[in-house]
Amino acid sequence: MMSRALIFLLAMGMLSGCATQKMSGDQLARVAKDWSLSIRASQVIPVYPLTEDLQPGDVFLVQTPVEEQVKVYLAKGFLPLENLLTRLSPAGYARFYRGWPQIADGDNAPPRPWQFPGSDSPDGGYSRAPLAAFPTYNFSVSRSEGLNVAIPVQGVPVGLNLLDSASANGTITLKDAFTYALPARTMYDAIHQWCRDNAEYLTQYEPTESSADGKRTANKFYLRVINRVYLVKTVDVSLFSNRGFGAGGSAGVPQPVQLLNIANATEAAKQFAAVNDILSNAISPATKNATAPVGATDDAAPLPVAVGGTVKLAMATSRSVSLVETFRRPLAIGYLASDYAIEARGKCASPVPTLGVLEGHGATAGKTIEYMGCDENCARIRPWIKQGTNPQKLQTWLEKNGGAIAIADLLTGDYAGLRQRVVTELIEAP
Amino acid sequence: MALQPPSPQSNVPRNDVSNVVDAMLLDSAVKWIGIVYEEKVGGVDRFTVTPYVVDPTT
Repeated sequence: MMSRALIFLLAMGMLSGCATQKMSGDQLARVAKDWSLSIRASQVIPVYPLTEDLQPGDVFLVQTPVEEQVKVYLAKGFLPLENLLTRLSPAGYARFYRGWPQIADGDNAPPRPWQFPGSDSPDGGYSRAPLAAFPTYNFSVSRSEGLNVAIPVQGVPVGLNLLDSASANGTITLKDAFTYALPARTMYDAIHQWCRDNAEYLTQYEPTESSADGKRTANKFYLRVINRVYLVKTVDVSLFSNRGFGAGGSAGVPQPVQLLNIANATEAAKQFAAVNDILSNAISPATKNATAPVGATDDAAPLPVAVGGTVKLAMATSRSVSLVETFRRPLAIGYLASDYAIEARGKCASPVPTLGVLEGHGATAGKTIEYMGCDENCARIRPWIKQGTNPQKLQTWLEKNGGAIAIADLLTGDYAGLRQRVVTELIEAP
Repeated sequence: MALQPPSPQSNVPRNDVSNVVDAMLLDSAVKWIGIVYEEKVGGVDRFTVTPYVVDPTT
């Protein structure tokens, strides 16, 4: 009787994966957003879906204007990484991580030695990668919302079904987190060199103005250059039931918590083993093949429930369960990057931190202007503006006559006519 | 109506970086200035000067 109930319980857990697949587009979008909001709270731009194939030097072409990016970011919680243009491989890891074991440039640049450690590194893998730590995130989950949990890991729906609860509060802990990076300056040099080498290619992404009749909208493209990534290998999920058991438990069939309750069950260890056995074998043949690691043998680690991960039951009481999900290799969950606007003639502009732009901390003005030199009128305005109340006079004049452009822009930007008027009307006229 | 914030300027020669920075700092909202080397053109180092109102490193 107990084993039948156990199988039913776990079958429900497995079905949660199917339920997830059948979620509507809206529900999937919410999963992405809620997860991303949690990661975003750690000042990291979230990656969704999680991926191993993201590293410093990846250059994405993004079209969304900065203002629109903010809207998308707030609405979705993450930024879609649209087109991967290239993967820069700048040297600099050895210098940046000077003295750090196993970090080199070239073919052995991170993350390769951690992803595929050789036989000469017995404690290899990510154990030597720079560590990171994330806070514990809290969330709520309700079965009535179709297992629309805000975490793209399998532990939550499995745990909810193990609890057999209609709703629960939970915490998720990102363990075994790692990070590595290249300095922004190194990236700056690398991307500008790449821009110079590919200026002809980039000219197709020059900014365009909107047409007067409104038929053509303004376009501006950016190069998003990743300079730091955050990876996580293990996710702990703890769920605490809001209510007791689901309604209508059948008489005579032990409730799930009884199956897993250490205090009440004398064979708790066997039950734990049985649960973990079923969890680790719950995989379709297609997924089994897709997730087989490089060089894996048949007697390798337990096969995952979801692509790339294994779920194990860690603890269970009458009102809570804890599960541990381990990815086969760490997956990138977030990144830091800089955006370079593509200017006329395929030239790359100065960098703006992507997160800064998204959180409203960007440069004071988005568009970089070309320094045009300090002409004769500029040379007359500069000393004049340092006297008395002249700055205020110039400001007032610019507000009325100069489109309220900044004084710095007036002096060395493409405003020769305006500078002439300033000299004539403010400096010479009185 | 306040003036617009100053724009980042590229291609600024080394000997005029200080004057450009000086002009940008006339806007009291500007708290940080980024000066990044671009390239040497005609034997003269060129820089991009970028004003920020909020600490760009956070």
